[in-house]
Amino acid sequence: MVTQEELIREARENGMELYPIEKDTYELFFGPQHMATENFSIILKMDGNRVVKAIANPGFLHRGFEKLAEFRPWYTNIALLLRICVPEADVPEAIYSMAVDEIIGWEVPERAQWIRTVVLEMARVSAYLFWIMGLSFKLGVYTAGQWAAAYRERFMRLFEELTGGRVYHIYTIPGGVRRDIPGDKWLRQLKDTVEYIKSKLPDFDNLVFENYITYKRMEGIGVMDRKFALAEGVTGPNLRATGVAYDVRKDDPYLLYPELDFEVPTLKEGDALARALVRRYELEQDLYILEQLLEMGPPSGPYKVEDPRLKNLPRFKVPAGDAFAHVESTKGDFGAYVVSDGGNKPYRVHVRGPSIAHGIRVLEQLLVGARIADVPVILMSLDNCPPDIDR
Amino acid sequence: MTWEIGEEIIKKILEKAPYAEGKVRRERRLEFKIPAERIREFLMIMKENGFPLMLQISAVDWIKEGEIELVYHLMNIELGTHAMVKVRIPRDLDKAKMPTVRDIYPAAETYERDVHDFFGVYFEGNDKMEMPWILDDPERGLYPHRKDFDMLGYVKKKYKILDRFDENKDKYVI
Repeated sequence: MVTQEELIREARENGMELYPIEKDTYELFFGPQHMATENFSIILKMDGNRVVKAIANPGFLHRGFEKLAEFRPWYTNIALLLRICVPEADVPEAIYSMAVDEIIGWEVPERAQWIRTVVLEMARVSAYLFWIMGLSFKLGVYTAGQWAAAYRERFMRLFEELTGGRVYHIYTIPGGVRRDIPGDKWLRQLKDTVEYIKSKLPDFDNLVFENYITYKRMEGIGVMDRKFALAEGVTGPNLRATGVAYDVRKDDPYLLYPELDFEVPTLKEGDALARALVRRYELEQDLYILEQLLEMGPPSGPYKVEDPRLKNLPRFKVPAGDAFAHVESTKGDFGAYVVSDGGNKPYRVHVRGPSIAHGIRVLEQLLVGARIADVPVILMSLDNCPPDIDR
Repeated sequence: MTWEIGEEIIKKILEKAPYAEGKVRRERRLEFKIPAERIREFLMIMKENGFPLMLQISAVDWIKEGEIELVYHLMNIELGTHAMVKVRIPRDLDKAKMPTVRDIYPAAETYERDVHDFFGVYFEGNDKMEMPWILDDPERGLYPHRKDFDMLGYVKKKYKILDRFDENKDKYVI
């Protein structure tokens, strides 16, 4: 049991101004039912309204996906693994498929690569819109949140037409994609949607990202520097907000990304506001990437590999071997390590959730000294996806 | 598969760590195999030679060989190169022990807790090892990701829905 004196000393060492010592610290269970935590739980030790110590308490979502994956045939696993991260369900599909492609040694056809890139970018844009919704709700700007949800709905409709599913798509499969794009009409609709959302970005700026209240609420809280972030394994926008331009799409390119022209925005402050602004700039870049892809147009050819083994999917076997594949998601570097022993089921699937880095240790350290009202804002600025942690 | 930059990195690292085996898997993918007791010094060499980011620690239970394989995934940010460092240790519970690498890569602490909870590998020197992690108290100590974990028996015991399962059937697809 940690005594009060120790807690207070620890807080003082972390540079925090404390209330008089005679005040009691108390324990506050924040989540998992609290709306602001999104199924995540933190045990906070409070002094007045300041956090003295935070302990991340994961495990409320654990569904054992990695264990279940060992009991299912290779192709059936896609419908399971994509449920790891709900706002961006295409990413787990893609990493699993890319790892399996690498073990088999399949060259994915060009058309499938183009479609996969478009789907991943659409997923990124819709995940960022989802995040803007969450952030606006936590800052109290409900209007912007409702706009973001409505714009995301346009992408949901496009996804539904493309894949048959709104949230869970089961679309990217080893060897390509499950079916072809519906036609030119769909491409035109996607182009219109991209233009529409691009025209609406200034509204978000006015209401959220250039708002006085946002600056007051987010500036200077949850600060981390470059060295700390790298040591803790933080990736994605959270790392780029500290000045490190590490983006898997640029540094370890996959699919069509080497042919595309886009920037990796970075900021140096490393606080909650910098993380939010990096995401805002990336949303613009993602829309620009989608524009380029649409201008390029889908290459002709098959949309998945032609292989006689695909005739009998339950008995489909993958040669023994292992592979690691990773893509850039809105949460960070999302990877999968897949091991095959030559059977019709994976021997082991290990998913690297990006949130496990910034959702446990980093969160525990950033929350010390914060006010209780800042806790949801810091949590939202880190963009923690609890299912990543409780795979 | 040859990739010159990768060959150079491997040459540089193997000079400092002659006990290791290294190879280029494909472009931007390296693989090292080292004995388990050298892991700390090897990871220090890796960190000094441009691999500042630890992505995760994967464990694979090779039950036929009686071994657990730990794979440390490291990332070189400047060259965009991913390196796997593979280590094999015995899978018996009293022998499955590893030194912690938490002081070299602080991020490793969480992954070590994860491997301990699900595979029963004990990381010496990590004082958060016994802290509650994802599993509830009744599940702790069962190591559900090991291949000899009796999933059906566990489900029967926990949810008490015996009549749903046929005792004579030996394989279930859940």
